[in-house]
Amino acid sequence: MPRIVEAQGLYKIFHLGKTQVEALVDITFHVEKGEFLALVGPSGSGKSTLLNLIGCIEPPTRGTIHLDGIDITNLDDNSLSTIRAERIGFVFQNFNLLPVLTAYENIEYPLHIRGMPKREREERVKALLDAVGLARFANHRPAELSGGQRQRVAIARALAGSPSIVLADEPTANLDHATGREVLKLMKGLNRTYGTTFIFSTHDPQIMSFADRVVELRDGRIAS
Amino acid sequence: MAIYLKIALRNIWRNKGRSLITLSAIVFGYISIVVAGGFIEDVFYQMRESYIHSFLGHIQVSKKGFYEKGASRPFEFMIDHPRRMMERILNLPHVRSVTPRLEFAGLLSNGENTISFMGQGVDPEGEKRVSSFLTIEDGRSLEPGDRYAVILGRGLAKAMGVRPGDPLIILTNTVDGAINGMDVEVKGVFYTSSKAFDDRTLRMPIETAQKLLQTEKVQTLVILLDDTRNTDLVLHQLRSWFRQEDLPLEARPWYNMADFYNKTVTLFNRQFFVLKLIIAIIVVLSIFNTMNMAVLERIGEIGTIRALGTKRRGVVMLFLAEGVIMGLIGGVAGAIAGYGSARLISYFGIPMPPPPGATIEWVATIRVVPEVFLFAFSLSLITALISSVYPAYKASRLKISEALRHNV
Ligand SMILES: Nc1ncnc2c1ncn2[C@@H]1O[C@H](COP(=O)(O)OP(=O)(O)OP(=O)(O)O)[C@@H](O)[C@H]1O
Ligand SMILES: [Mg+2]
Repeated sequence: MPRIVEAQGLYKIFHLGKTQVEALVDITFHVEKGEFLALVGPSGSGKSTLLNLIGCIEPPTRGTIHLDGIDITNLDDNSLSTIRAERIGFVFQNFNLLPVLTAYENIEYPLHIRGMPKREREERVKALLDAVGLARFANHRPAELSGGQRQRVAIARALAGSPSIVLADEPTANLDHATGREVLKLMKGLNRTYGTTFIFSTHDPQIMSFADRVVELRDGRIAS
Repeated sequence: MAIYLKIALRNIWRNKGRSLITLSAIVFGYISIVVAGGFIEDVFYQMRESYIHSFLGHIQVSKKGFYEKGASRPFEFMIDHPRRMMERILNLPHVRSVTPRLEFAGLLSNGENTISFMGQGVDPEGEKRVSSFLTIEDGRSLEPGDRYAVILGRGLAKAMGVRPGDPLIILTNTVDGAINGMDVEVKGVFYTSSKAFDDRTLRMPIETAQKLLQTEKVQTLVILLDDTRNTDLVLHQLRSWFRQEDLPLEARPWYNMADFYNKTVTLFNRQFFVLKLIIAIIVVLSIFNTMNMAVLERIGEIGTIRALGTKRRGVVMLFLAEGVIMGLIGGVAGAIAGYGSARLISYFGIPMPPPPGATIEWVATIRVVPEVFLFAFSLSLITALISSVYPAYKASRLKISEALRHNV
């Protein structure tokens, strides 16, 4: 099976005034297509940074990353935006739904960016609302939804553009345990149904247990 | 694009209070421009019509050279066969009337006092239309059929101490340079908006003036049109006609003769420009401030939509759309409010002091000028656009990873 992520000798160094922070040090790792992978490690170990690099949000200081076979290391902003729109779904710790859009419209947003015609958008959004069990809440704004419901909308939004990979940075950190587990179950179900690759970071051992494989970071290095 | 419009609109609605303040600034600017512009237009209009109807007419035709050299040798530049010319001019489209004039200087005497005057030989019938700002305050105006009759300006009548019915003696040079005198009767006393004019002018029937000066000719033909806006059209027709038939005549539009009007227009326009500039700056700053705040408080959202794959261009469009919608709403609201204010102020009127050299107070209104509305509308749109450019650009340049950290 071809690899969806291939990272080779990744470094990410932040400059804070005169001091340097080595957020990632010589990271080499791969993710297979269809994997359900957990990224774990203590606070400050570099989980978010690594997800940002894979997600075409920040470039590495050194090293190369291939995503879906494409070398994303040295692309310009426009190309990276296109890759994010077409191949990557994001789920955030704080849900990050657009407050002025309804659940339906939030899920529809990535489809707008991809220039999908209205008819197809409608079909797709409805299917996703069903898949995350929120058909009844289509016209609710985020402020009118619970945390768990918001995160489900966010997951539907992440999947809307049929991405190759979904990156979820601590998707359950703002949810209670039960809801967090629900959300993880949902993600895993979607992973199994559609074969979409998921990488999620977490502190929570219970949440980790959902993963096919766990990658542990410590001080910016892969520990296991 | 539609999605950006939708989000922009909802964001404007989300911050109702702030949007309302920004819109107020635009509407305020709009009203100021419409009212100031409409007021200035009205001043221009009333001044221009006053000049045209009090004595200039829309176009004056005279012998070539009369305007340059006529002052010192008034009788060397006269129009031959004035009747025939008048008939032909009257046949031109937009021409409402043509009336002849013959100006001369002379001395006026009542036996005790002798004063110099400016005389105008006029056709009483034709002149009614180009002397509508000349008001008779005592006696009556010249009538067709009057002979050896004069009407005097208010100042001149006072200086001579005469009233309607009183006799006067006129002394002047004929066109050949001989001295001629004539007894006339004062029929009336008039005043206009120009004190200088009233202080030295008298009018008499043109036949009487021609007899006094011993000539058949006239100096100027004063043309009145149906509408001031047709001045250039008729002017061009006249000029090409004179050129084609090789007539030794020239035609001058009112605006080449109304010096004070032109200076006033220049001055007012300059002041109006400064006002427009100030208002534009106020509107720009207020929208700029709003858009800047909008960007600042939505950094997290910008990070999110960028992560979802929105290009920089998309972020720019999102914020420009917000600014432009604001400008559009402000423009429409401003147009309505501006129109309302213009009508309201016009209903009461603005009492104005007499213009320099004039004696009559008048009431200015606010003219509803489509050009001014169009200008104000484009100003609100363009300023809205301009003041959104920098905030929009700034938003599009945010670092995604840092912007995302603003989501809490
Ligand atoms: N923009 C930045 N500027 C400076 N230092 C940064 C920046 N982003 C991350 N770091 C540093 O890089 C290191 C890794 O941070 P990162 O956010 O990736 O950790 P994390 O594993 O996601 O932690 P957490 O579990 O708390 O989210 C930390 O030491 C952090 O302080
Ligand atoms: Mg983190």
